[in-house]
Amino acid sequence: MSTVKVGKSLGWIGFLLLFHSAYSTYEHLSYLKAVDKIPNYMPIEITVECLVSVSICTIGIILAAGPLKPILIKHELAKKTIDEIDTHPSFNTFNHRGRLMKCF
Amino acid sequence: MAPFDYLGAIETLHELRKSGERKSGLVVSLGERLLRDYTGKLGDEVWPVYEQVFISALDQGNDALAKTCFEKLEKRFPGSPRVKILEGMKLEAEDKLDEALRLYDEILEKDDSNIAASKRRVAVFKAKGQDQQAMETLSKYLDDFYNDAEGWLELSDLYLKFHLYQQAAFCLEELILLQPQNHFYHLKFAEILYTSDTSDNITLALKEFCRVVELCEDHVRALYGIKLVNYYYFNYFNSVI
Repeated sequence: MSTVKVGKSLGWIGFLLLFHSAYSTYEHLSYLKAVDKIPNYMPIEITVECLVSVSICTIGIILAAGPLKPILIKHELAKKTIDEIDTHPSFNTFNHRGRLMKCF
Repeated sequence: MAPFDYLGAIETLHELRKSGERKSGLVVSLGERLLRDYTGKLGDEVWPVYEQVFISALDQGNDALAKTCFEKLEKRFPGSPRVKILEGMKLEAEDKLDEALRLYDEILEKDDSNIAASKRRVAVFKAKGQDQQAMETLSKYLDDFYNDAEGWLELSDLYLKFHLYQQAAFCLEELILLQPQNHFYHLKFAEILYTSDTSDNITLALKEFCRVVELCEDHVRALYGIKLVNYYYFNYFNSVI
């Protein structure tokens, strides 16, 4: 399996876990409200699940993004050929031998 | 026969449009097939493709294809200045240079900021063989639109035609100001300085060759330039001693 696929599935797993921890928080808070307690702490399971899911998500996104590209413009320009840089298409003239060499 | 890879063809044409490379044969062969069988797949991109294929067809002397492209464009965008420029190019290809020039002047009379028309005027002067006039027109144009890299590149080429190295070097200086990251401008500047052959310029040429290697490692042309400058110094010092 390619890294991109692994990354994508990790990303989804992380997202589902994150969603689950959010839902658990909501459940927990509504339970505390129902039994009339002050919500001043969160159970350690929910906190751990939330943190772990965020890290899984991050790893997944990094893997899915593919290889990184250099940020400096000189790397991009170094790949170009002279034909691509030294070209002035707006000044092309048409009275050349191209007309007679149609077959090429 | 392998099926025609129309997605690849669209991609290639797009890349060529962006880079401005002059590969008219390739554009015509891909574009002709694309416009015949796959116009529906192109969507709104079909108009730039028509324009591109039209210009390449003129370059190749394929008048029938050029005519169909032009008719399509004229029907879709009647009275558009961009299509008028294409009409002028068609006149140029038919060697009716004076008529083309008149058409461009007409466009410029209505809208003197039409960049394409100003540039085509220079091309017409070039085609007529009036390079002096082309140089004058182009430098006047660059007075107004000084950030047009393509124009400066063309002007330096025109100057080089007449061995006016100092003026050509000035154009390259402007280009380096516009795009200091572009190694090719440094390379061309260095080569012009090396060719103009005075000892001050050679020192600057060496600096510029080194700059090219700094911007783009393993640049063989620049490395060879450094070698040539070294030969120059070697002979120079030998003659002094």
